[in-house]
Amino acid sequence: MNPVLVLGAGPAGLSAASELAGLGAPTLLVEKETYLGGNPKRWHYSLLAPDLRPAEEILGPLIERVEHHPQIELHVGSQVSSAEIAGNGYRISLRSKEGVQTREVAAVVLATGFDHFDSRRKFEYGYGHFPDVVDFKELEGMIHDDRVLRPSDGKAPGRIAWVLCVGSRDIQIGNPWCCRMGCVVSIKQAVEIRQKHPEIQAYIYYMDIRTYGLWEDLYWKSMQDYGVKFIRGRIGAISMAEGGRRLIATGEDTILSRPTEVPFDMIVLASGMEPGTGTKEASDLFHVPVGPEGFLTPKLSDMNTIDSGLPGIFLAGAATGPKAIPDAITEGMGAALRAFQYARG
Amino acid sequence: MSVVAHLPRRTLSLTEEEADSPPAMHLTGRQRMTDADRSLSEEIYREFRGDHRHHDFVLGCLNCGECTTGCPAARFYDFSPREMLQIAQNGDATTLWDAMQEKIWACCQCYTCNMRCRFGNDIAGIISVMRELSVRHGIEATRRTLAPFNRSLTLLMTVGTQVSSDMIQPDFFRDWGPFATGSDKSWGVTPAIMRKAIPIDVLQTTTSSWEVSVQTSLELFRIYEETGVLDMLRGLDPDLTDMLIDIIEERREEFTEARERYRADLDRMQGPVATFSG
Repeated sequence: MNPVLVLGAGPAGLSAASELAGLGAPTLLVEKETYLGGNPKRWHYSLLAPDLRPAEEILGPLIERVEHHPQIELHVGSQVSSAEIAGNGYRISLRSKEGVQTREVAAVVLATGFDHFDSRRKFEYGYGHFPDVVDFKELEGMIHDDRVLRPSDGKAPGRIAWVLCVGSRDIQIGNPWCCRMGCVVSIKQAVEIRQKHPEIQAYIYYMDIRTYGLWEDLYWKSMQDYGVKFIRGRIGAISMAEGGRRLIATGEDTILSRPTEVPFDMIVLASGMEPGTGTKEASDLFHVPVGPEGFLTPKLSDMNTIDSGLPGIFLAGAATGPKAIPDAITEGMGAALRAFQYARG
Repeated sequence: MSVVAHLPRRTLSLTEEEADSPPAMHLTGRQRMTDADRSLSEEIYREFRGDHRHHDFVLGCLNCGECTTGCPAARFYDFSPREMLQIAQNGDATTLWDAMQEKIWACCQCYTCNMRCRFGNDIAGIISVMRELSVRHGIEATRRTLAPFNRSLTLLMTVGTQVSSDMIQPDFFRDWGPFATGSDKSWGVTPAIMRKAIPIDVLQTTTSSWEVSVQTSLELFRIYEETGVLDMLRGLDPDLTDMLIDIIEERREEFTEARERYRADLDRMQGPVATFSG
């Protein structure tokens, strides 16, 4: 049996490779970065919602298993540069620093994931200009290292604001979709900070809080147990005041129906999810159609997000749209099973 | 028997009209309207909802408040572009009527709300449609609201105004434009100081902006006549309209005379010019 190709080693790809190996299928795991774990690893995600378990506890064992499994052939720092149909499977070229090799694979799992929205594109928030305006993926790392300090002067912030929907639900920059994660991750960050440093005030500016399903519990607890404050309205602009010592968030409190200007020591942008660069490449290589948003399109989105409708190609994780880590891992399992059935013939 | 049956039934006291209106707009403290106003408000509402611009400008609203955040009028008046859009989208004849009494005239038509709106609504546009309707139907409150501006209107319509590039002084508007945060030096001044500069700047430009050539003024007025602007104004204030026409007629005569003189002078100097047909 030819190996099954798993493209991308984030949560979904790791999970797919691990399950395939468990089923006894030889697996080719290809990752363009030099490490395993995708975005969670890259940005040092801290605790995961809703149970607040460290990301390392979830991804660590998966990475461990994938790294040492005899059935898994690991190609980090590699990319698939071409693909063509060969029999029931595909013939692919694998390109890395060492050179190009041609391989035949029996089935393909595309787990090419997402990229965090580049917050510099919302220039009115001054991200990249004001040092104390940080992206929430950076805050994850700060919380992880327990160093929640203002980048400008290294002092502890007194008040932090979160701005939700940065690069999501926004036709101006062409991203009308909801990122699904911004609400729960911001609330989780506020809870984490308030747990360790109750002297820091946490304010969340929101339009709708979408802690869907059982995550609603975290939203309620954030107010009840941790005193996180919620203000309804979107911040329209961030400016500097007091000679750069503080930031001013300008917005409308849409419940009071009045414009507001509030000073903060640090402002966190909940940047959305965009299709990963690898997702576009995978679409070109394997001719999987992308929707208007740029994510891979499953055959029947209403039924499942795994079947691409193309022979031997299965999808997993945030390649098909914004997704939570547990969903990505679950989809990786499903895609592994589908790919195994197809490869076995 | 269940416990619920023993509880007194809570009833809402709605008037017949309120019971029929959209639920989002049950505002308290509404003023009683005369029958004439009511039928006019309903006519305006039908016209407003049927206007193709309503379909093009009003898309939907997440109530995020970014339009109001950037709105200069919202800083000084009880006015909010978000509220105007909500009324355009969900309001009934009475709410639209209420908004058209005074509120729509607080808007300065700077279109910042449009720039900010992440839903792509044309908020300033829909406000201008409301204004147009309120002038065209000669609403009493509109007449009252606009009366203090008659002097400006007279100047605007008989002379015209113009903005030239030298009137815009970028130093005072450092928090504007795509490069607002571009250089660290530009943030040496606080937004409060920058905003203080705005009214001064406006004062500085008023003199030069009224220097419009007579021919341009007359051409502008011709546009008002042909496009029906003058008819709209007549519905609101016939006396003012007649006065404007008088002023313009006088200027037209002066202009024609001046042109005749010029033509005669030209004839004397060069002989008749065939291409000058006026």
